[in-house]
Amino acid sequence: MATTPETQWHTVTIRIPFASDKDADIAKQVIDVDREMQPDVVKRTLSVEGSELVATFTTLTVRLARLTTNAFLENVDLVVRTIGEFGEDAARVPAPP
Amino acid sequence: MLAQLISISSIERPYVALGLEGSANKFGAGIIRHDPDGSTHVLSNVRHTYITPPGEGFQPRDTALHHREWALTVINEALKKAVVSMHDIDCICFTKGPGMGAPLVSVALVARTLSLLYRKPLVGVNHCVGHIEMGRQITGTQNPVVLYVSGGNTQVIAYSQQCYRIFGETLDIAVGNCLDRFARVINLSNDPSPGYNIEQEAKKGKRLLPLPYATKGMDVSLSGILTSIEAYTADKRFRPDGPSAEDGEDIITPQDLCFSLQETVFAMLVEITERAMAHIGSRDALIVGGVGCNERLQEMMGIMSRERGGNVFATDERFCIDNGIMIAQAGLLSFRMGFETPLAKSTCTQR
Repeated sequence: MATTPETQWHTVTIRIPFASDKDADIAKQVIDVDREMQPDVVKRTLSVEGSELVATFTTLTVRLARLTTNAFLENVDLVVRTIGEFGEDAARVPAPP
Repeated sequence: MLAQLISISSIERPYVALGLEGSANKFGAGIIRHDPDGSTHVLSNVRHTYITPPGEGFQPRDTALHHREWALTVINEALKKAVVSMHDIDCICFTKGPGMGAPLVSVALVARTLSLLYRKPLVGVNHCVGHIEMGRQITGTQNPVVLYVSGGNTQVIAYSQQCYRIFGETLDIAVGNCLDRFARVINLSNDPSPGYNIEQEAKKGKRLLPLPYATKGMDVSLSGILTSIEAYTADKRFRPDGPSAEDGEDIITPQDLCFSLQETVFAMLVEITERAMAHIGSRDALIVGGVGCNERLQEMMGIMSRERGGNVFATDERFCIDNGIMIAQAGLLSFRMGFETPLAKSTCTQR
């Protein structure tokens, strides 16, 4: 298994549009904190291009590509829902006490 | 001099913290306020529990899904009940560990997102310290021996030289795990919690059946007891549906088993707590963790403490069972001591 050269690994790229550059950047920062569970067989790079979050996964097997992508999308979903729920309130400037 | 250096500084304005907990099958959000006069106020404490069907435990993945589904609803309810805006909060506290990996990460994702959205500092909290700090806050006890009993932990702890030190613990499974798993064997409901239902059944028990009694120093062993109590359910005298008319005296009911299991394991816990109290010269015992709301355990511990001229301190299910407010309390205390968790360090640890 370990003899498969990395150039023959499977690659998945996902581009996720956000409402703003700021939201995309928040999602990147939040998700980037946790390392991949199996770093020797899954490589992950996250970047922000404008208001898009771009994730690239390079994995040893197709199964790992599917599992990693699923887990990533679930995390994106949670972050997006949190931003959806609180983003507007957070952007509001609080009234002075 | 030293005491002055390390004691918590007084504050010139109220501090408010949000605490998020989700290390096991409960998602909790709580908001606490510390006032300049030194008083502490619980503004809200909301919890939603993932309840599995009878005979089943909770799996990490399903539990994480539960937390993801309920997190925002529970947080909003906590804010509403406290009549606090996220803007008024000084720090966002979350459980860093120990606990189940997937549920912990779900909660950490929400905590980090909120932290970035509102530009509020994050504070990672050790789950065990959360339990102890909340128990101390609610009961106001000074220098107790702490018995921390829950589904994942069984430890006897005392505070010494700026650290919580573990004097004794389980050598295998936690006491809550032992009770929960037995509840599954006899198909008790998990609603509101398996431990609560065992406690109710135990009140109807009539026979104390012999079980292994395994304490060693300040440690206990529980897995053998679970095996032994399970073996009774295969005994010829066992009646899963209780006694019937043609039965004689010599039968075993599920209620007898619940009673015997509780009496045996709680006696062991009281014994190791007493040994720790004798060791450090403390008179008071504080019980924290989910099993801590069991009134029979509190009663047994009370008898022992009073014989030693002290008292038992415990809280009810709001503060005993995993909750967000204990994370807020422990987190706000460390925040006031100048502690923050940078985003890059806000990972979770299972142990």
